[in-house]
Amino acid sequence: MSNQLHEHLATMLRIRAFEEACLEGVASGEIHGELHTAIGQEAIGAGMAGVLRDDDALVSTHRNHAHALAKGVPLVPMLAEIFERATGLCGGYGGHMHLFDRDRLFSTTGIVGATLPVALGHAYAMVLDGSDAVAVGVTGDGGVNTGGFHESLNLAGALALPLVVLVENNDLAISVVSSEVSAAGSVERAPAYAARGQRVDGTDPVAVEAAFRAAVDHARAGGGPSIVEATCHRFRGHYEGDPDLYRSAEEKDALTAHDPIARARRLLLADGATEAELDELATRARTELEQALAEVRAAPAPDPAGAHDHVTLLPTGGPR
Amino acid sequence: MTTSAPTRNLNVSSYIAEAIRLEMEADDAIVVLGEDVGRQGGVFGSTRGLQKRFGDRRVLDTPISEMAFTGMGVGLAMSGYRPMIEIMFVDFIGVCLEQVYNAIAKNRYMSGGNVAMPVVIKTAGGCIGSAAQHSQCLWGTFAHLPGMHVVAPSSPYDAKGLMAAALQSDDPVVYIEHKALLLSKSADFAHGAEVPKERYTVPIGEAATVRDGGDVTIATLSANVRDALRAAEELSTEGIDVEVIDLRSVVPLDTATVAASVARTRRLLVVDEDYLSFGLSGELITRVLETLGPSGIEVVRRLGVADVPIPAARSLEEAVVPGATAIAEAVRAMAS
Ligand SMILES: Cc1ncc(C[n+]2csc(CCOP(=O)(O)OP(=O)(O)O)c2C)c(N)n1
Repeated sequence: MSNQLHEHLATMLRIRAFEEACLEGVASGEIHGELHTAIGQEAIGAGMAGVLRDDDALVSTHRNHAHALAKGVPLVPMLAEIFERATGLCGGYGGHMHLFDRDRLFSTTGIVGATLPVALGHAYAMVLDGSDAVAVGVTGDGGVNTGGFHESLNLAGALALPLVVLVENNDLAISVVSSEVSAAGSVERAPAYAARGQRVDGTDPVAVEAAFRAAVDHARAGGGPSIVEATCHRFRGHYEGDPDLYRSAEEKDALTAHDPIARARRLLLADGATEAELDELATRARTELEQALAEVRAAPAPDPAGAHDHVTLLPTGGPR
Repeated sequence: MTTSAPTRNLNVSSYIAEAIRLEMEADDAIVVLGEDVGRQGGVFGSTRGLQKRFGDRRVLDTPISEMAFTGMGVGLAMSGYRPMIEIMFVDFIGVCLEQVYNAIAKNRYMSGGNVAMPVVIKTAGGCIGSAAQHSQCLWGTFAHLPGMHVVAPSSPYDAKGLMAAALQSDDPVVYIEHKALLLSKSADFAHGAEVPKERYTVPIGEAATVRDGGDVTIATLSANVRDALRAAEELSTEGIDVEVIDLRSVVPLDTATVAASVARTRRLLVVDEDYLSFGLSGELITRVLETLGPSGIEVVRRLGVADVPIPAARSLEEAVVPGATAIAEAVRAMAS
């Protein structure tokens, strides 16, 4: 148990260091678009890490960095993509909300609710392949109220497809409190789709891993879809630069009580770990990101001459 | 209408189904998803026989969940499949355009060329008297959004060949079949009536000159090609010699073929069953002008659905949708 948590802490620290590196990029102007971080929600990515195989698919949202790292997407190309470099995962064409790693069947979309139909397609492909791979579609609590959620889960349930829907429930869709605008929680909807439903404390990586693994195993065994809802807290604004005036100062101050990293530290210390040993984990994560950042920053911006590449293989119009 | 009877006299839907069958036999990666595509074989019969031949997994009857099954096309493509997604009528694209233009059309670009989207969106368009929500063409809408090829065949030969090319394409292709043509048989066509039984493709992005003439160039596509040919026959008795170009593809648009014709005739009429403004007609005319320069053209006209929804009553519909009579009138005005 504590070994597992130790590992989860290392993963969470790596995710946080990654997000903090991105914050630097926003501050410096190297990232000139919207950026959504998972700071405060790291336990979900940590709990997912190591559960999926390369041939499992993972389709994530606008808040995707932790999931990408959990899927094993290489860190430096990913950071380079977010930092708009030619060496990025997608050559600088995609950016933070549009990450694609073909070899690991990882992709993202910036359109809320659009992850699940795509994950459903992967799940159907796995059935056609006769493989025991599974597909995971991530959504926030806001995304569960889209039509795509209903359509995808209905089809997944009807065809018993190996789909795991992972709901990151921070109860906020920008400023809208999802529980106030939802007739039912996502887990409560599971029976309507012949799906398994499980709610889990998303600040506890061990619990997330157990729930996520159970859902993945269920899908792998041919049991059909699951909804895993991980409750969590979004520490920062919806995006960097969001004034976040919809939450009171007290409410925001209270968030630190839900820090999954502090929580894991506390538990590990109580279990006999030393401060120095845990500090060392944090240092290691920061060092990895410092080195990655240096490498990314040494890389060039994409050549503007390539701006019309990759639209389609045949030229279709526009400047050539 | 054809001088000699065609060897086979099937309807256009059957030729499309034949193209899909032949491509599916040649490539296991092709799967078909949509409403009524399986047991019924499509509401127009253009997927008939496929489920029987390939099973109910490769030819999946979906619920009315366009958003889900269009998105499935994205996931299937990223998993190595070549999905054909049937949107029964193109008018229904509103409920799932999101996956089409934000994912299918953009994933190659957003991934820096790492992810291909060999997806065919097969859908029926065009007027058959079904009014505002079941008569649109909308090829201009897809064409406006970067990342997709858009084709709209006018003849039995092209219907089969363009479908084969679409299924072989490594890029997304929106294949818009015209409802008024789907149930027409080879013998009803003055062009492209002969359809070989074998596999062949019609290249995407190449227009075809379906009638040679020296006085006026008509550039059009889909069912309007038939109307243009009828108008041209009538006009020939009046001594007006019309060249008819079937664009076949909206994206890529074969400007060169049209420009070469207009360089000779110096008169261009674009006929488009889609909406007039901000669409194919304006785009084609601009490109021809860019190619030839303003001095290269004497007369330019266009016919399209002039910015109204398609009405229900026949008298109203005929007032709005360009047909052979309107085409002949326009050409007469241009030739004089
Ligand atoms: C279809 C769609 N509508 C609106 C938006 C704008 N938007 C981006 S994120 C977001 C809130 C999403 O909330 P949730 O799903 O809970 O995810 P979270 O941001 O909390 O991770 C909204 C409204 C969008 N990207 N897509």
